[in-house]
Amino acid sequence: MPNKTDKPTAPRPRTRRVRWPVVVALLVVAGACGSWWVSGMGNDNAASAANERRNAALNASVDASAAANGVALTPRQPGVVAVGGSKADALEIAASADPKAQLALWSQRLARAEEVLDNYRKQTIYPFESRPAREHADQMYPNRFVNEERRLTNPGQKPSAGVRIRTSQERIYVVGSETVLFTVSALDWEGNVLPLTVTRAVAEDPPLDGKPSKRNSVTLGFNDDGANGDVAAGDGIVGVRLSPETQGFSGHAGTIRVSVNLKVGEETGFAFFDIFFTPNPPAVWATSNIAREVVEAGSLNFYLKAQVREAGRYVVTGRIDDAKGQPFALISFNDEVAAGPREFKLNLFGKLLVDEKPAFPLTLRDVDAFLLKPDVDPDRALMPRLPGKVLLSKSYPLSAFSEAEWNSEERERYLAEYGRDVESARAHLEHIRKTMAP
Amino acid sequence: MKLGSLSWRKCVFGFAVVGLGIAALAHATNYSLWVNGRTGGGQVGNHADFAYWGPAATAAGVNKKSVNWDGYNTIASTNGGVRDALDCYCTGNNWCYVAAHSAGNLQVGYALSLYGGSTRTKKNGVPNSGGVCGSAGTGTQTGWNIKWVDVAGGAGGGSELANAGSWALSEPLVGDLKTATARAMYNHNTTRGATFYMFAGASGTLYSAILPGQDDEAIAYHSSGGVSGTGGASYCNGSDWFCNDLTMGTAANEGGRAKWTSHNVKFRDNNESYNHYTNGNWGGIVSRAVADMVVNAQ
Repeated sequence: MPNKTDKPTAPRPRTRRVRWPVVVALLVVAGACGSWWVSGMGNDNAASAANERRNAALNASVDASAAANGVALTPRQPGVVAVGGSKADALEIAASADPKAQLALWSQRLARAEEVLDNYRKQTIYPFESRPAREHADQMYPNRFVNEERRLTNPGQKPSAGVRIRTSQERIYVVGSETVLFTVSALDWEGNVLPLTVTRAVAEDPPLDGKPSKRNSVTLGFNDDGANGDVAAGDGIVGVRLSPETQGFSGHAGTIRVSVNLKVGEETGFAFFDIFFTPNPPAVWATSNIAREVVEAGSLNFYLKAQVREAGRYVVTGRIDDAKGQPFALISFNDEVAAGPREFKLNLFGKLLVDEKPAFPLTLRDVDAFLLKPDVDPDRALMPRLPGKVLLSKSYPLSAFSEAEWNSEERERYLAEYGRDVESARAHLEHIRKTMAP
Repeated sequence: MKLGSLSWRKCVFGFAVVGLGIAALAHATNYSLWVNGRTGGGQVGNHADFAYWGPAATAAGVNKKSVNWDGYNTIASTNGGVRDALDCYCTGNNWCYVAAHSAGNLQVGYALSLYGGSTRTKKNGVPNSGGVCGSAGTGTQTGWNIKWVDVAGGAGGGSELANAGSWALSEPLVGDLKTATARAMYNHNTTRGATFYMFAGASGTLYSAILPGQDDEAIAYHSSGGVSGTGGASYCNGSDWFCNDLTMGTAANEGGRAKWTSHNVKFRDNNESYNHYTNGNWGGIVSRAVADMVVNAQ
C-alpha cells in the first residue's frame, strides 16, 4: 500500500484525475510482483469490501422497497395493521405478499438483532465502570495537550491555500489555581515553520445569546521570547500561559474564550480556544492518605477520600497501569453523593483482572472528578485533579479475584430483550421459509 | 371452500405473524425517537412535530417521536428535554430505537455517557405539553431501554466549521461544536452498551478547505464516522489514495486510529452523494438513517 499522508488538513484531491494514474500504476506493479501483494493487503480493506457488499445489498434492498412504496414503507409491530393511511396499508399488504422481499427483510433484521445482542453481551462482561484501557484509548492520558491543525482562516473567508496553523492547549477544564498554556504556530505544506505574528489576543467571558460579557477582557501576551509561559524562545511557536484565578476571572464559573488574531506574511487569520473554569471546587480530596485498596467480592476496589461540600452526582475517573507502565484499565464512579466526608469507590472488576492478567503491582494514576449539574451551564464543577501516581497497589495472586461475569438487573433486562428480538426474527424467518417451501 | 396449499401456507404464516405481533404488544411498546441537530425547528416538547425533519407522515421507524430541542443552546442546558423523552418512551416495558442527526449525536451520547447509569422513574409514555410523561407507578430502573442508535452526520466529534468561526460564535451551541470541546464533553466510548450505527455523508465541496478529509458540508468523516482522539484528522472513502480510509464497521481506521467503542460505521458515502441537510424532506445523509430505521426499527 502506498503511504498516505497523515497530515490532518492536507489538501485532498477532489477529482478522480489524480487518483486513476496512481491506481493504474499500482495495479501494474501489483501484477509484476505477483498475487502476494494483493493478498497481503490489510484486513481492514478486505473487511471493508465485505461490509460494502453487504451494505450495498442492504441499501439496494431498501432503495427498491422505498421506490416501490413511494418512500413510505410503514414499519410497525409485526402483523399489526397500521392506523390510518390507506397507502401505507396497501404498501404493507404488498410487502407481505412477496415472500422473497420478506425473506430479505427479516434476514436483515435477524442480522441486526444478533449483532446488537453480541455487542451488548461482550460489552457487559465487565461493568461499565471498569473497562479495559484499549476501549478507552483517548481517555487514558487526560493531562496531555490537545493539539489541532487547520488552514489559516478568517471567519467567513476563504482559507489560506498555503498556510496551516497548529494550535495546542494544555487543558480544557480548569479548576482553582490551575493555569493553561496555549500555543500557536504556522507551517507551510512541507511542514516548515513560518514567521507568525499575533496581532491581538484576549481572554474573555464570551458574549453569548445576545448577552454581553460580564467582565472586561484581558489582553494576553502571546510571544516567542520564552516569556509569559512560552516554552522556548525563537522556535516559531508563540505561547502564553493564562491563570484565570489571578488574571481577572476569579469567581467566574464558566467559559473563558481566548481569541487570537494572526498574521503570517501578508495573510491573516483567527483562532480561538475555549476553557471551562471552576473557581471553587465542590469537593476536595483528603490532605493525607487519600487512597486505599481493598479486595472485596472478588474485585480490587480503590477508595478515594474527599470532603464533599456540595451534594450531587459526581463523576470520578481513574487510570490503571500495570507494573510495566502499560495502560490496563479505566475505572470510574458516577453516582449521587451527599455532602460531608465521603469515599469514592473505584472498582477494578475481578474478571477483568483474571482475563487480562496484568503484572502487579498496579498504579492508580491521573484521577479527575467533577460534580455534574443537570440542565445548567456550566454543567460541571471540577474537583482538583490528581495528576500522576495516586496509589501503588499491593501484589495479588489472580486467584484472589472472581472469574464471574458482571451481572445486574440492567444486564438481564437487556439480554432478555435482545434475546427476544433474535428469537422473534428467527421465528419470522422460519415461517417465511415454510411459506416459500414447495 | 378448499384452500390451495400455497394459500393455506400464507394463511398460517399470517396468523402466526399476527400472533407474534399481538404477543409483543401485550408486553411492550417500541418507539423510534428522532433527536434533531443544530437550528432545531420542531416545537420543543411536542413529540409529534417533525418540522426539523420533513413530512410527519414519512415512515421513519415504529411509533416515531420527535425529540425536539432548540438546536441553539448548549447540549448541557438542553439535554434535560432529551432525557425526559428517554424517560417517557424508554423505561418500564417500553423500548426505544434512537436516531440522531448532527448535534443530536452529542445529545444522545451525553445522556448515555453521563446519565446512562442513573436511576430513572418508569414513565407511562403519555407526555404533557412540555414533553414530560407521568409516572407509570411501577417504580424505578437503572438507565433507559435503548435497543440501538442510528446517527446521521454525527457531530459527536465536533466540526471544524465551529473552530474556524464559520458559524456565529455568539451562538451557545457553536462553542460545544468546537472539536476540542465536543470531544472533551463526555467519554464517547461509554454508550452503556448501545451500538451507535454511524451514517457518514461525503458530498460536501463548499467547505472542503476547512473540513478535513471527506465531509457532508458540515461534518467531516472523523466525526460522522465516530473516530476517537483529537479532531482535525482526515478520513476518506476507500477510493482516495491520499487519505486514510474510514473503515466500515467497528474496526480501527486505516492508519490505526480507533473508533469510539460500540461505534459502527454502517454507511460510508462512497459515491459522494449525500450532504448534511434534511432539505425539509428527511433528505441528505438522514435519508440513509431513515432507510435503516424503516427496515430495522420495529
